[in-house]
Amino acid sequence: MSGHTEHTTPTGGYEPKIMAFVCNWCTYAGADLAGTSRMEYRPNVRIIKLPCTGRIDPLFIIKAFENGADGVLVSGCHPGDCHYTTGNYHARRRWIGFKNLMEFAGIDMRRLHFSWVSASEAIKWVDLINKVTDEIKALGPFMEYKGLKEKSAEQGE
Amino acid sequence: MPRIGVFVCQCGNNIAATVDTKKVAEEMGKLPGVVYTCDYKFMCSSPGQEMLKQAIKENKLDGLIVSACSPHMHEKTFRKAAEAAGLNPYQCEITNIREQCSWVHHDKTKAAGTVKSIDLTRMTIQRLKKNQPLNKIKIPVKKKAVVIGGGIAGIQAALDIAEGGREVILVEKEPSIGGNMARLSETFPTMDCSQCILTPKMVEAELNERITLYTYSEVEKVDGYIGNFTVTVRRKAKYVDEERCTGCGECIEKCPFKVESAFELGLSKRKVIYTPFPQSVPNVPVIDAPNCTKIQKDKCGACAIVCGPKCIDFKMEDKLETVEAGAIVVATGYQNMPNERFGEYGYGRIKDVISGMQFERLASSSGPTGGEIRRPSDGKVPQSVVFIQCVGSRDEKKGVSYCSKICCMYTAKHTKLYSHKVHGGQSYVFYMDIRSGGKRYEEFVRGAIEHDGAMYLRGRVSRVYEKDGKIMVQGADTLSGSQVEIEADMVVLATAVVSRDGADTLAQRLGIGYDKYKFYNEYHPKLKPVETVTAGIYLAGTCMGPMDIPESVAQGSAAASKVLALFSADEMAREPITSVVNRTTCNACWDCLTACPYTAIEREAIKDRQGNVVRWVAKVNDGVCQGCGVCVAACRSKSIDLKGYTDEQVFAAINAF
Amino acid sequence: MKIPYYPGCTLNTVAKQFDTSARESASSVGFEMKELAQWNCCGATFPLTPDNVIGLTAPAKVLSNASKEGDTLTTLCAVCYNVLKRTNKVIRDNREKRNVINGFIEEEYDGSVNILHYLEVLRDKVGFDKVKASVKRPLKGIKAATYYGCMLLRPFEDIGIDKAERPTIFEDLLAALGAEPVEFANKIECCGAHLAMNNEEVVTTLSGKVMTSAVGAGAELIVTTCPLCQFNLEKSQPKVAEAGSGYSPVPVIYFTQALGLALGQDIATLGFEKNSSDIMPLLKKKGIA
Repeated sequence: MSGHTEHTTPTGGYEPKIMAFVCNWCTYAGADLAGTSRMEYRPNVRIIKLPCTGRIDPLFIIKAFENGADGVLVSGCHPGDCHYTTGNYHARRRWIGFKNLMEFAGIDMRRLHFSWVSASEAIKWVDLINKVTDEIKALGPFMEYKGLKEKSAEQGE
Repeated sequence: MPRIGVFVCQCGNNIAATVDTKKVAEEMGKLPGVVYTCDYKFMCSSPGQEMLKQAIKENKLDGLIVSACSPHMHEKTFRKAAEAAGLNPYQCEITNIREQCSWVHHDKTKAAGTVKSIDLTRMTIQRLKKNQPLNKIKIPVKKKAVVIGGGIAGIQAALDIAEGGREVILVEKEPSIGGNMARLSETFPTMDCSQCILTPKMVEAELNERITLYTYSEVEKVDGYIGNFTVTVRRKAKYVDEERCTGCGECIEKCPFKVESAFELGLSKRKVIYTPFPQSVPNVPVIDAPNCTKIQKDKCGACAIVCGPKCIDFKMEDKLETVEAGAIVVATGYQNMPNERFGEYGYGRIKDVISGMQFERLASSSGPTGGEIRRPSDGKVPQSVVFIQCVGSRDEKKGVSYCSKICCMYTAKHTKLYSHKVHGGQSYVFYMDIRSGGKRYEEFVRGAIEHDGAMYLRGRVSRVYEKDGKIMVQGADTLSGSQVEIEADMVVLATAVVSRDGADTLAQRLGIGYDKYKFYNEYHPKLKPVETVTAGIYLAGTCMGPMDIPESVAQGSAAASKVLALFSADEMAREPITSVVNRTTCNACWDCLTACPYTAIEREAIKDRQGNVVRWVAKVNDGVCQGCGVCVAACRSKSIDLKGYTDEQVFAAINAF
Repeated sequence: MKIPYYPGCTLNTVAKQFDTSARESASSVGFEMKELAQWNCCGATFPLTPDNVIGLTAPAKVLSNASKEGDTLTTLCAVCYNVLKRTNKVIRDNREKRNVINGFIEEEYDGSVNILHYLEVLRDKVGFDKVKASVKRPLKGIKAATYYGCMLLRPFEDIGIDKAERPTIFEDLLAALGAEPVEFANKIECCGAHLAMNNEEVVTTLSGKVMTSAVGAGAELIVTTCPLCQFNLEKSQPKVAEAGSGYSPVPVIYFTQALGLALGQDIATLGFEKNSSDIMPLLKKKGIA
């Protein structure tokens, strides 16, 4: 079921794969605005839309890495602006704990980003994607984790 | 094997310019389960939709993907089309290849847009395979409304709902409806008398056959959800039979005891059996039990002796009544900040320092002085009056940080009333800024200054004290940069508008939000100004924050229109994106219950055949759940899932990454 | 009951009568003021003006010393009280500043000492009822103006001895002593305080307002809580009288002197001779001395 695209462009350079989990009301709409404003940004990100960042299960992020993501981005409404009043606070709290765990597990935290992007912040969205993409591109493919997955798959099967 | 169709839209040239839509369709056709693909110029056009419908039928599709613009644009359109072709609408998913691909990745030669479109569509296809057909949630609606608060906002809401043909229970804490507006003398900027415009509405509310007044009553408990609330109202004992009372007033006449009148803010006295003011609606007196000697010590009983219809019952008790209602309008209004907090202004110590609302009573023709401006201490007509604005407002240290909004206008009105009633009298106004935004408001303030001779001084007052029978007001005039001291006969404080005592308790009963000043929160400050986060509960008037009469009335009507829209159908249909609990694995840790922002999660008892409770599990109330999914991520045993965004669906999409 | 006591510089020098009368009175109502073994100047209000913790080290040192002698500390001078109480609040509530201050004074002080003004001790620890019961020489018939000044009440969220704009603690004490407190407009206004050094005119105007408003309200005696107020009022009084507004001077005394007087102490020990206004004619007139 894994993807068709490779870690390379037609011209052969390395291009990272980035997964973004965003909320429906703020960040998804912000990304839409970037589109309607015809802003250009790096094409490496694949968005999965959820109703709220509060819906995001940390397992989603682990699964994304497992499926070959070189970086993961989580973004939702600014604190206080949540469509569901408090969902993003839950997300933030969960994130703090999760981040500590990932750091403890030795994941390079430059591969994992958390941000607030509102429906009007198309520019912020574009800057964020470009920044994250460039940073992860500089880090190179996320081989450590990939290796782990294959190893566990061997043991499991 | 699923039978999936993939429809790739060119959006004219909007997508096709940078994304090779044909290639996307071709690539998707290679995936297992995809039995039909096409690309087309405008999928959302009528021919496009027709084509989609036909393809569903001809190919017996059980799911489809439209790779086109943002789902925020046309998800509804395509789901409707799918439904028309006999498919469950939630078997139609959108991939956003315009806002996320063609419009942001401009260079076609690099094919970045095409590659990304293929990835995204593939992810959506895998997600779709895990979709379950969903049905809109239908909730029966009880077409009766409860309006809490009988001030002008509540009266307006009740009248409008009744006008729309629905029944209303109007609950008011005091013995009469009318609220704060009943106290006012004239209203800005038109200077028409408050009573003259309010009392007809009060009477209309009383006479309207669809409106039932529950005066001297308070909401004690609220259960249920939109369309199906159960409201428990405490109807306090009036000791007077409302049905039989003719409102003759004999009892009031004969009652030998007097206490301070709360309605008149201590400016005059009332009897122990009383109506708050002469035009009270309903015109039925109540007995103030703590002060009644008959009730407390079984002495007197004069009122019962003179009562013709014999409707006084000293043994009457509070009654709890439950009302089934589909919607609730909260219009509980405001009160003024206690003046005693401001020792420097001498309120309570100096008799002739009064509040703005007390001035309203002095100026009102039905007030304690019959509309003559006479000071409370000795009944003399004051020759100079100092008005102090922003008492507590815009004062984070001692009061509240917000602007009370109405004081600039009513103080200007007070100076006008004063100059009309006391010729030759001089009024002074200490202000911070004049905030007169509103239709004909600025002209009104200019009029007070230019025609009615009010002296406006920009600055704060530091101290008010008595000296030789005069009230000395010491303050700063920041425009001339000097200190001023004014001898006044009376001082009027424009005290801050604050929320009602107990506003927080009521909010907790209703499950609605409030801010740090205990003003109720609207769902969205701009686009949903009368809704709350709890569906079916609406707001109107000053319970949300300071506002003037026109705004309160407009909000009353707005809330009523929301109620009527809700009542326009027997059932309410809602998106089926709600959480659902797996009862077999739920271990009742209640993490979901504390996480839910909407109190949509309840405790459900699982019972054996004898009716003994075996264990407890969480249960989602579909009427209340808004589908945020916070509970899903909070659940440790993975026993809650969000329909439309199930773990399975999300993992399928991630796995196709 | 022993309560650690911080006199401050003024009470050790020019306001000695404030100190002695307070100590004497304390023993009459059943507590002992135990002077701190080691103390230094609180820095007056100067440390509180800039946003700089280094100035707070002087009062912090006093507080740290006090913490070694008990959990409360009493003081008489309104300025000392203000400085100590506010410094203590900073140390208690602001961990960052606390660490800096403790680093400088080489102590581990956490802001736990409860600072009570002498008036608070009388009200909360002794009780005005007990004070009233101990009165041997009631100040009957004396219309007394209770001049709070500013340091005892403000900033009210830090000080909180009583309601900042409408305090009653001082009146309640004077009433317990048998005097008749008068209500006057300027009882919590500033006397001019430190400006006595560089702008005497302001002091004369402000203190003048206090005294004319007190005497205008019928006061025969002005009672103070602060050495600066006492100094400024006494010093300005002749000038105000000379200005010819019809003002005639009245005696100005410390509240502890009034207390000692009422508690029946020997008048000669109360240090009235150190005051520049003479109280004796008033006492004779009222039949007290």
